[in-house]
Amino acid sequence: MLAWPYLSGLFLLVALPAVAAAVLAFTEFSGVQAPRFTGTDNVRRLVADDAFWSSLGNTLIYILIAVPLRLAAALGFALLLHRRSKASTLARPIAYLPTVVPDVAYVLLWLWLLNPLYGPIAGAFGLTGLLTDPWGARVALPLMAAFQIGEAFVVSLAVRRSIPKSVYEAAAVDGARPLFTFTRLTLPLMAPALALLALRDVILSLQINFVPALLLTDGGPRYATTYLPLFVYRTAFRYFRLGYASTIALSMFVLTAAVVYVQYRMAKRWRVLD
Amino acid sequence: MSLRLTGVSKTFHTNGPKLVLDEVTLEVEDGHMMVIVGPSGSGKTTLLRCVAGLESVDRGRVEVGGRDVTQADPGDRDVAMVFQDYALYPHLSVRENIAFGLRARKVPRADIDAQVAEASAAVGLEGSLDASPNHLSGGERQRVALARALVRRPAAFLLDEPLSNLDAELRTQTRREIRSLQRSLKTTTLYVTHDQVEAMTMGDTVAVLRAGKVEQVGTPEELYEEPANVFVARFLGSPPMNLFPPGLLGSAASTAAGVRPERISFVEQGSGRFDGTVDLVERVGGEVIVHVRCGDGVLLVRRDVRSAPSPGDAVGLHFADEDLHTFDAEDRRVG
Repeated sequence: MLAWPYLSGLFLLVALPAVAAAVLAFTEFSGVQAPRFTGTDNVRRLVADDAFWSSLGNTLIYILIAVPLRLAAALGFALLLHRRSKASTLARPIAYLPTVVPDVAYVLLWLWLLNPLYGPIAGAFGLTGLLTDPWGARVALPLMAAFQIGEAFVVSLAVRRSIPKSVYEAAAVDGARPLFTFTRLTLPLMAPALALLALRDVILSLQINFVPALLLTDGGPRYATTYLPLFVYRTAFRYFRLGYASTIALSMFVLTAAVVYVQYRMAKRWRVLD
Repeated sequence: MSLRLTGVSKTFHTNGPKLVLDEVTLEVEDGHMMVIVGPSGSGKTTLLRCVAGLESVDRGRVEVGGRDVTQADPGDRDVAMVFQDYALYPHLSVRENIAFGLRARKVPRADIDAQVAEASAAVGLEGSLDASPNHLSGGERQRVALARALVRRPAAFLLDEPLSNLDAELRTQTRREIRSLQRSLKTTTLYVTHDQVEAMTMGDTVAVLRAGKVEQVGTPEELYEEPANVFVARFLGSPPMNLFPPGLLGSAASTAAGVRPERISFVEQGSGRFDGTVDLVERVGGEVIVHVRCGDGVLLVRRDVRSAPSPGDAVGLHFADEDLHTFDAEDRRVG
């Protein structure tokens, strides 16, 4: 009985739109006229669409840079700050802080930081092409996201702290040096959690690039930061091709499922997930 | 190789300074086993951790095999430790757990395999080498921890209450096995326990620790028969030694005296040293612990179950002069 409000919301706000989008993916629909069933026309158009492949490439580049960076940052901070000390207590919320800053504010801050004319990063390091050069922008956006380590940091911290101290003491008495301890003990013991975090971050990274791509670079320069979510948005709400936009969204779903499946198989193979 | 501690002191500073080891001086002879025994909080585990290098010492010196290792890293001390919770590496198999220390020291693979086979055979783990520690019983985990310690052939073993997580039967069996293993390997061993039975049955020598100070070091027999003070006399022996207030037995007014429960015999009322009434009879296997009320106090007597009186019986209690331990006003042994 108590679950009814939640289940109703889930049905009306998630399940129904998802099914509607899946159906619309096989129609031509401008939002004004009634949808017209077109079979697999949209799919064929998608396969032949250079803009789609370019967006997909940009998205994959974003994931390839952002996910390892964010995971490494979360792990690094967790290892650095897991000990109980006043400095750690102070530093933990600071490490988490960029995650709670609203996306728009965060992007506007980076717009200033990366501004090629008066931004401090351009001034200090001479990096003026981070938003104006296609590859500069392709790297800058995932770099920017690397500071929002949020939940990955909290989970890594909790997992690291759950490893008994005596295991490390046994390793120290066994003669293990720090690098050996890290590679043979810490990393394998944290691997199941890190594998799950990586899975989650890939799914997240497919979506969270929408706000920075829209506000910071508007998908440019030269479409370098037109990621799939922005591509869907433009197709749907700038060109009002809602049917085709649903096809792209469906492809994102398939892509997400495929990536998750591949990672899951890898994790099973490496025995990091039971 | 011998193990020597000289004037080792350690203070913890959590919630204010607390002296946990106070000028501890001990020596374990080459190939011998010393058991450190004491109540909770007496500093036994801290002492072991100082020897292992897991805690720094504030003052004093730790030597392993004549080498000063006071400032050395744990891995450079040539000691192996068995932890109370075993501290096995949960993601590694039994084989990998045992081999971990050798891998860390870059021992050639062929040597690792041979040494792992030898160590696992010594503790009877040959059949479980590919198992995960998570699927082993408490006793088997304990064996893995032991194998991990002995595979490195260290100069000294440090064992921190290794039997405390085992059930009574397994504890007795493992106690025997550890002792026999130590004797056959002749590896110098420091063994920490709060269990006096373990201490008395396992140690070549026993050191009694209280509040960070060594109260007495000696063979189990010496400690039992000639306790250096009232604490040792009461701590070792179950039930503990009966103590009489100063002057009660006609000795000097400042001298307390004690007698072990098994040295007291029942005699006719009026013909022994005390008369009393049996309050309670506790059966412990083939023996009984008889609580006899004598005036304001209660004396404990340990006897065979067949010669036990019944509650309410009026009895006389007797013991020989040589069974009497006497202590001065500072609780030190005088006779």
